[in-house]
Amino acid sequence: MTTLENSVKFVDSASDFHKINSTETAVSIKDITVSFKGSKGTFTAIKDINLTIKKGEIVALIGHSGCGKSTLMNTISGMVTPSQGEVIANGNIVKGPGPDRGIVFQNYSLLPWLTVYKNIYEAVDSVFKEKTSIEKHELVEENLKMVNLIQHKDKLPGQLSGGMKQRVAIARAFAINPSILLLDEPFGALDALTKGSMHIELLKLWNLDNRNKTIVMVTHDIEEAIFLSDRVVVMNNGPEATIKKIVDINLPRPRNKKDIAHDPEYVRVHDELLNLLFDKFSIED
Amino acid sequence: MPKADSRKPKATKIMKKTFSNIAYFLGSMAILIGIWQLISIITKAEIPSPVSTWAVFKELMAEPFYDRGPNDKGIGNNLFSSIGRVFTGFALGSIIAIPMGMLMGSTKIGMSLLNPIVQILKPVSPLAWFPLGLLAFKDSGGATIFIIAITSLWPTVINTAFGVSSIPQDHKNVGKAFGFSTWKYLTKIVIPYSLPHIFTGLRLSIGIAWVVIVAGEMLSGGVGIGFFVWDSWNGLSLEKILVAILIIGGVGLLLDKGFNALQNLFSWEKA
Repeated sequence: MTTLENSVKFVDSASDFHKINSTETAVSIKDITVSFKGSKGTFTAIKDINLTIKKGEIVALIGHSGCGKSTLMNTISGMVTPSQGEVIANGNIVKGPGPDRGIVFQNYSLLPWLTVYKNIYEAVDSVFKEKTSIEKHELVEENLKMVNLIQHKDKLPGQLSGGMKQRVAIARAFAINPSILLLDEPFGALDALTKGSMHIELLKLWNLDNRNKTIVMVTHDIEEAIFLSDRVVVMNNGPEATIKKIVDINLPRPRNKKDIAHDPEYVRVHDELLNLLFDKFSIED
Repeated sequence: MPKADSRKPKATKIMKKTFSNIAYFLGSMAILIGIWQLISIITKAEIPSPVSTWAVFKELMAEPFYDRGPNDKGIGNNLFSSIGRVFTGFALGSIIAIPMGMLMGSTKIGMSLLNPIVQILKPVSPLAWFPLGLLAFKDSGGATIFIIAITSLWPTVINTAFGVSSIPQDHKNVGKAFGFSTWKYLTKIVIPYSLPHIFTGLRLSIGIAWVVIVAGEMLSGGVGIGFFVWDSWNGLSLEKILVAILIIGGVGLLLDKGFNALQNLFSWEKA
């Protein structure tokens, strides 16, 4: 098992700083409106949203529950079709889900009748049809090792804790090696320690790929958003949610969990985000 | 599929439960035999008592598999011939029912088009189908299998359709997100998810098939437990009829338990 300490060391030893290598656009969201038709009429979740995400960027979507941040992300994944506007991912208009965009669902979405191994294998098998079964097997094992679940590979999802299930879902999304990784509150169910080491794993993967991977994540967690992202997109409360503000995180990489908390820039950004999220409410109540 | 963890202390609990289950079953049988005895006394033995029925049962069981021509066979021969027909009819019915249920469950159009047919044909008595079976197969054996198939398939159709239509969006999303082919979607998501429902349907269907066989064989004659009942009535042996009723009930119970076990085998725990 990779300990947290080891992983932190890895990030410490990485030498390059915050820079996004390319000016290519990975995702461009153009005038998106998403409305759902319900029994009580039309409900507009998000309205007139524009957002461009560069290749290699890590962007966090943050906002209160029900503000439409998951809906916005699902327009990128293709799970939700916008009522107006369009989303372009990797140069193509998004018409549905595809293996170039890996998804980690909020509720893990593992198939309960398949073992941990099989859950990942079926995804790998479906995406990499040309690979041999040995290659696919190795890919699955490699990703299981990454999330420290290799010894649990023959268990069924029902036998795992919430955090373990989430790690399977993460391994499954990583295994298909998507250029855009979409994470819907992926670390929500993890304890602080596991969460920390998963953050490191995520950055490690992103680093190893020379930042060719674009990551979009939905989160409630301000600290997580700052630690991981290049930009944090703060959303207004729904319905008809819009983008309130996009906050740049100008902290050098690699970022160290222990030191970052004392960085004046970190403190400033943290305060700014808190104010953006809680302007209507007093903290005391 | 294996259940979570089978801790040791549970074993004694299961033992205790099994013992109490057996005790309750025996108690239940005692009540049945008591009522039977009472009826026998009230009717002045016109309805044979459990004791005289037991004597006939032993007689029949002494030589269950004799064969003395077309209308005189041992009770074992009759029973196995019935079981064979039931499974043939049930299998044919299921081959139609499972794909039909899947079609109904997977598309709104399928449901809208096929559901009225199911609703109209489901309540039809097996006996009403019998003449059509005779016409089609020119043979009473074929007709019996036909009525079993057509009357037993409905619970499987309905339960399969329900299973397939209730696949959670989460599971469908997995198929979408990772680009599952239709075959993979069917074999890794649709079928595993609906299997417990399909087995619930099959369990209800085999129950119906077993009820229908007796009626069918009373009409078709020749060989079978239903024919045995009718033949015993003609021979005025009420004891034999009672023996047959108990055997029919016992086999029905075993079929139900067997399918229940299959259902448990193919169910999975929610993740």
